[in-house]
Amino acid sequence: MIRVSDRLSRLVSLRKRFPAPLAAVGVWLRRTGTVAQILSLVILVGVFAIGTKGKYLSWANIQVILSLAAIPTILAIGLHLTVVLGGIDLSVQGVAALCAVFVGLLMRNQFNTNDVGLWIIPISMGIGGVAGVISGLLNTGLRIPSFIATLGMSWVLYGMAVYINRAVNVIILDERIFNAINGMVFGVPQIAILAVVLAVIMQFIQNRTQFGRYLYAIGGDEAIAQQGGVKVVKIKIAVFTIAGIIYGLGALLFACRLGVATSRMGNGLLFPTITAVAVGGVALTGGLGGAKNAALGALIVTALNDGLVLMQVNPYAQQAVNGIVLIGAVALTLDRKKLGFIK
Amino acid sequence: MNDTSNRANQEAVLALCQITKEFPGVVALDRVDLTIRRNELVGLVGENGAGKSVLMKIMIGLIQPDGGTIKLHGEPITLKNPSDAIRNGIGMVFQEGSLVPNLSVTENLFLCHEADFRKLGILSLRSMRAAARELLTQMKLHIDVDLTVAEISPAERQMVEIARLLWLSQVYGHDNPVLILDEPTTVLADKERETLFSILQDIKKRVSIVLISHRLQEIVENCSKIVVLKDGKNVTEMAASEARLLKVEQLMVGHSFSADRFHEDEQRTRGEKEILRVENLRKAGSFQPLSFTVGEGEIVGLIGLVGSGKEEVCKCLAGLERADAGSITLDGRKLPSGSPSSAVRAGLGHIPIDRRSEGLALMMNVAENVNLLVLNRLKAGGFLSPARERKNARHWVAECQIKTPSIATLCSNLSGGNQQKTVISKWLSSRVRLLILDHPTRGVDVGAKDEIYKLMRKLAKEGIGMLMMCDTLEEDIGLANRLLVMKDGRLVKEVDSSPKMKPNPQDIISLIV
Repeated sequence: MIRVSDRLSRLVSLRKRFPAPLAAVGVWLRRTGTVAQILSLVILVGVFAIGTKGKYLSWANIQVILSLAAIPTILAIGLHLTVVLGGIDLSVQGVAALCAVFVGLLMRNQFNTNDVGLWIIPISMGIGGVAGVISGLLNTGLRIPSFIATLGMSWVLYGMAVYINRAVNVIILDERIFNAINGMVFGVPQIAILAVVLAVIMQFIQNRTQFGRYLYAIGGDEAIAQQGGVKVVKIKIAVFTIAGIIYGLGALLFACRLGVATSRMGNGLLFPTITAVAVGGVALTGGLGGAKNAALGALIVTALNDGLVLMQVNPYAQQAVNGIVLIGAVALTLDRKKLGFIK
Repeated sequence: MNDTSNRANQEAVLALCQITKEFPGVVALDRVDLTIRRNELVGLVGENGAGKSVLMKIMIGLIQPDGGTIKLHGEPITLKNPSDAIRNGIGMVFQEGSLVPNLSVTENLFLCHEADFRKLGILSLRSMRAAARELLTQMKLHIDVDLTVAEISPAERQMVEIARLLWLSQVYGHDNPVLILDEPTTVLADKERETLFSILQDIKKRVSIVLISHRLQEIVENCSKIVVLKDGKNVTEMAASEARLLKVEQLMVGHSFSADRFHEDEQRTRGEKEILRVENLRKAGSFQPLSFTVGEGEIVGLIGLVGSGKEEVCKCLAGLERADAGSITLDGRKLPSGSPSSAVRAGLGHIPIDRRSEGLALMMNVAENVNLLVLNRLKAGGFLSPARERKNARHWVAECQIKTPSIATLCSNLSGGNQQKTVISKWLSSRVRLLILDHPTRGVDVGAKDEIYKLMRKLAKEGIGMLMMCDTLEEDIGLANRLLVMKDGRLVKEVDSSPKMKPNPQDIISLIV
């Protein structure tokens, strides 16, 4: 949606034609690169509001959307970092499965007598982080393209998870995290607030730290960044590690929300996460889009699916719609000049 | 410019002494000297392959010299890499640019040197922006520092790069850094060129500048000293005030010209048949409408400076770019514009300048490369026949005298000359009618050059028409039957170049410049 938003914002930012405040809004929207996303969300909401005769806009439904969007948002915030670098991370399902298995076995549960209490938070994030370090080393050390390195990692981790867990549903008895995230503050689900806080922190890091700057420099032109003195290898490993840590957090929250941990829990997480990243306007060619795009993308995808359910669209048709949305979003965001040949 | 003489005795900031660099089969630099003094604007000129870019790369540590010394303020130093060079106050603005396109002007200016703007790990965007604005104002530039580099013009990008280098040398405490500009004006419009030079004249008060350019005019007009390189050797050094355009060009090209070298006696006359007819071909921004023909067995040299539009003409003919209007007729058949595959099918071969990435599949072997375009003819019963493949490959390897251990050798293991011969044989085996040769002898040693010349003569005898752009003017004149001279996107003159009646290089130069 970059090109669409460029065109739109160029229209808006013609300072001479528009009064100053309006132009300022236009400039701000262009800087943040979310014009097309906000517009499509507005259109989406409008269509569903009419289609469901207002049911879609009830506060109860909005609460559902917000709480459903939280976990895809968290996972997308992790995954989009690797996309900004110009790579991709397909290991989210494997990481989530392995983390969930450990969450089930280490928290107070019905299966064994372990109880690590809230220590599960650093443990789960740590497992994700270790997986991320390995992916990063495979990518930089062995110079394996990130999509293969992480796809392979995903299956390795998933295999480990199944081996340990044997596909048993472990019921989690410690409800502290469940209670913490399932509450509401002024009618807003707390898990959604957590996701927003994470997005804000990540966006701040991207805007205001050297690490963030180098992330975009590598995504924009790796050779030039390296020439300029950016420590490309270190940053790449760091990015995969951070992504893994965030998946660890996401998996923990997901398991606690369900109250059940199993190796199958990761299944089906990859597609919505990548769709969210692409729909949010993070260019697959790298160097464009930030945490806010990932979060907005997750919100759009969740809002779309919720609306389709409310309108009682056939579930298979819903899947097809999601696929079309993914392809469409990538078609709009891809900077084809950067790719020589498409393989 | 006038202050050259009274500053001539000033200390040398950077001195390159007796620099030698060899690449396999080629001596790129042979004991070259270059001295850069304070506040000097040095123009470095020479033809393609004269060694300018190698010399530049040595000055910024991208390439290490095999012999000779580099002295900075009289002290010998070794430059390990470009960031080492910039620490020593030597920076270069590359032709292809070294800014990250998706970052803003501010972000690019201070990339990797953000430490000054950091508090508790957080960058102060306001102070970065203010510093960026100040830097650009110092250079009298008015660029919105929040725009991304992709959004500003090529001219502005160069300015930003220059500003970044100046700032860096300030950071490292150099009061008179050396700034190297590699063909800065090729991407600029006339007005932007003027701006660039007025800025260069202005910042000359605090830097020394080395300028490489193909446009001799601007070198003569703006530089205080001109250094001419030819075939990796110093030819001359002169004060710009004494320089005449034509004289510099003559020095660049040299006088040695021999008929044998290009096998002139084997040059055949143009056949009756017309192979290529170009009529009113036009591409906005590249070249004006032009028409010409190439006859059977004729070699036509397309000459002109970089930016004269000759490259674009060849790309349009090969279908790599789409022309705006006009027609291309090959062997009586009209070619659709912008379709490389129909050009190939009609019998047009293109030998690109960068054979390693465009001309050859390096990871395939000689036979596979030679057969690539004729797989249709090598089938037996619907499937590729290994026997026919071998036969065809052997035939062309012998015909073109490709020196390879076997036809199963990977092309990446061949020398440059033999790679080029493989590319040519690939086209020959596809029964090509017209060959476009884009710098066929680039990066090839002297012996292989001769073999390529012989091969071209042989192709001409077989009736293949050729349109070529060569590395040197001598080569163009020596090989061609006819020369087409381009200047500023126009076909300005057609010059006959029959054997024993070859035109004088100096006359051609006056047409090009």
